[in-house]
Amino acid sequence: MTKSKFIVVLAGNANVGKSVIFNHLTGLHQHIGNWPGKTVEKAEGTLHFRGHTIDIIDLPGIYSLSTFSIEELVSREYIAVETPDLVINVVDASVLERNLFFTLQLMELETPMVVALNQVDMAKKKGIEINYKKLEKTLGVPVIPTVATRGTGVYELLQKSVETIEKGGKKPHQMKYGDEIEKRIEGLSEIVKKVHYPYPARWTAIKLLEKDEQVEREIREIDPEILSAAEKSAREIEDIHGHSCSTVITSERYEIAGCIVREVQHIAPPIKPPMRERLHALTTHKILGYPIMAIALLSIFSSIFAFGDYTSGLLGDLLYGLEPIFESIFGAEIAGKLIWGGVMEGIIAGVTIALPYIIPFYLILYFLEDSGYLSRIAFLLDNVMHKIGLHGKAFIPVMLSLGCNVPGCLGCRIMETERERLLTAFVVTLVPCAATTVIVLGLVGTFVGVQWALALYIIDLLIIFFLGRLAFKALPGEPTALIMEMHDYRVPHLQTVLKQTWFRLMEFVKMAFPLIIVGSLLIKLAEVMGLLNPIASVLSPMTVTWLGLPAVTGIALIFGVLRKELTLIMLATLLGTADFAHIPNFDFGPVQMIVFTLVTMLYIPCIATIAALVREFGWKKALFITVFEIVFAILVGGIAFRLLMLAQ
Amino acid sequence: MELRLTDLRDGESGIITSIKIGHRGVHGEHRRAGRRWGFRKRLEDMGLTPGTRVTVVKSAPFRGPLEVHVRGSRLAIGKRMAERIFVEVKR
Repeated sequence: MTKSKFIVVLAGNANVGKSVIFNHLTGLHQHIGNWPGKTVEKAEGTLHFRGHTIDIIDLPGIYSLSTFSIEELVSREYIAVETPDLVINVVDASVLERNLFFTLQLMELETPMVVALNQVDMAKKKGIEINYKKLEKTLGVPVIPTVATRGTGVYELLQKSVETIEKGGKKPHQMKYGDEIEKRIEGLSEIVKKVHYPYPARWTAIKLLEKDEQVEREIREIDPEILSAAEKSAREIEDIHGHSCSTVITSERYEIAGCIVREVQHIAPPIKPPMRERLHALTTHKILGYPIMAIALLSIFSSIFAFGDYTSGLLGDLLYGLEPIFESIFGAEIAGKLIWGGVMEGIIAGVTIALPYIIPFYLILYFLEDSGYLSRIAFLLDNVMHKIGLHGKAFIPVMLSLGCNVPGCLGCRIMETERERLLTAFVVTLVPCAATTVIVLGLVGTFVGVQWALALYIIDLLIIFFLGRLAFKALPGEPTALIMEMHDYRVPHLQTVLKQTWFRLMEFVKMAFPLIIVGSLLIKLAEVMGLLNPIASVLSPMTVTWLGLPAVTGIALIFGVLRKELTLIMLATLLGTADFAHIPNFDFGPVQMIVFTLVTMLYIPCIATIAALVREFGWKKALFITVFEIVFAILVGGIAFRLLMLAQ
Repeated sequence: MELRLTDLRDGESGIITSIKIGHRGVHGEHRRAGRRWGFRKRLEDMGLTPGTRVTVVKSAPFRGPLEVHVRGSRLAIGKRMAERIFVEVKR
């Protein structure tokens, strides 16, 4: 043994219990971040076993190693380029055929492998028995049956994994395709072997025949001759089969998987449809499915908001109670103001948003996802969401955003492609959150009329619809469409859900708090230095001339960046009264209230939302969305002002 | 007879004959169709390859997605995509 530090990756389909195994193996020694430059989550952890230090990396759940999603690209690149010591392929025993399809592809990457045959208990309930010894022999890699949720077999899995690495990590043997394909794969890999390419020659040859875009591009740069040889072979295969070569290879792979399954699996389906089947039928029912969903979602969201609102207020009061103490320590002078107004206000903003809303949100999101109900919601609402260019899964982040845009943005990761994620995030930031609702109801609803408040919501909905369609058309890439597995209902693994929530919360805090604090410090600094009024006059061409608002609203809008409800609080302070119906010195009538509220609704995702966007999509895209929404809000506000003046 | 997957009745099953989403690389039609190639591959990767038996369980109302059984797993497929999947059915 020369090295005692190993790298092991977990790979497998989505929802096979990969993260449960990951949590069993790594405990609290884990770190969740993003793959460099990607919006794909990367979970890493460390464990010590028999004197070895083992780094475990949980790859995203995927169904294939093609180029459909960034997850697939990230996974295959990692396995081929970083050459981990071992791949643990987690396989769902109750859907063996589709899972083996992925296993076969992993084997083609020629990294030493161990298969965790997971959820054997679920399979048994469905009447599926798998002869894992036989499977082991057929695949030529160790197979360990596990029930991850109960921890059964996880120790054996670890033991076998380390043993496999210690023995020098034997490459899995390769499954053979049909003769006419195999001959061409061999021919091609002979040529590929001569050039330097990070992936195994046989794998490259297969991908060339499948017309994998990335491999084609990279090989073309190395030697275009190889590409023409591949195209010739692919055409020959197409002529034999009458289907495109990639279809032929995918079919063959499934054929092999099917053969193995018929060898090792025995099914005796239970006579009575089990509970979860009836639950599935009920929750996806053409009529009953909708009221059930409405009740479930309403109770979930109202409890998140009720809890969030209550806790947020409580934490706010508690933290604001510290103000006199701060004042007595740092004084009410500039230093004191900066420390309280800048740093502490920032922390308060962060704490009152992050803890009360994000914790229950993550908990419930993982429960919905793990249990399988999320995919049923997506099934029922797919066609509604298509109207704004998204598909069913996007409903969850959009719905969440009504409470707070931050969890909405974080929830975008349940979407599959980068494009879908970005589109959803864009829509999410336009949804009026609870704080915006406070302004709409508190200003327009109270002083102009409830029908106007309602009108504002309808306008916002139309804008979301319109901009969503526009972004959908403008963003390059694949059209949005739903292809989704609806795995069987199951009880989520509480410990995994809790850990996932905890580590993601930490990740958010690390990312967002500095940004929120710096932001509030800057605004406070401007205030202390007496820059607010000059800024208001600089903004006056925009606020006064274009939007027809009093110049002081510029200041209120700036404070709204921290938290949207601050616009209303600041406005009351600046105008000298909270009774907006009687403001003697300013021209702030119903028209101005409506314009002001409309701009507030649209103009910027608050700083915590920007932080969430940065966390998920990086600075560039976060800034783009922010700047776009500011410009757009001002544009719409000005137009609304003119229309309303005309109507008066 | 050959039908679109969306034409099947609830509970009916058929054998997939073809998926008509841009046959990238098949003689001639190259770039134009390439954009949708990803989804065809995706459907095939999920097990919907030609020659496979697929059962339509039901569809969500208002032109919603289809629930299908294929290779022992349950999938939801958007309507517009399901329309492009052709199956051979005995009626």
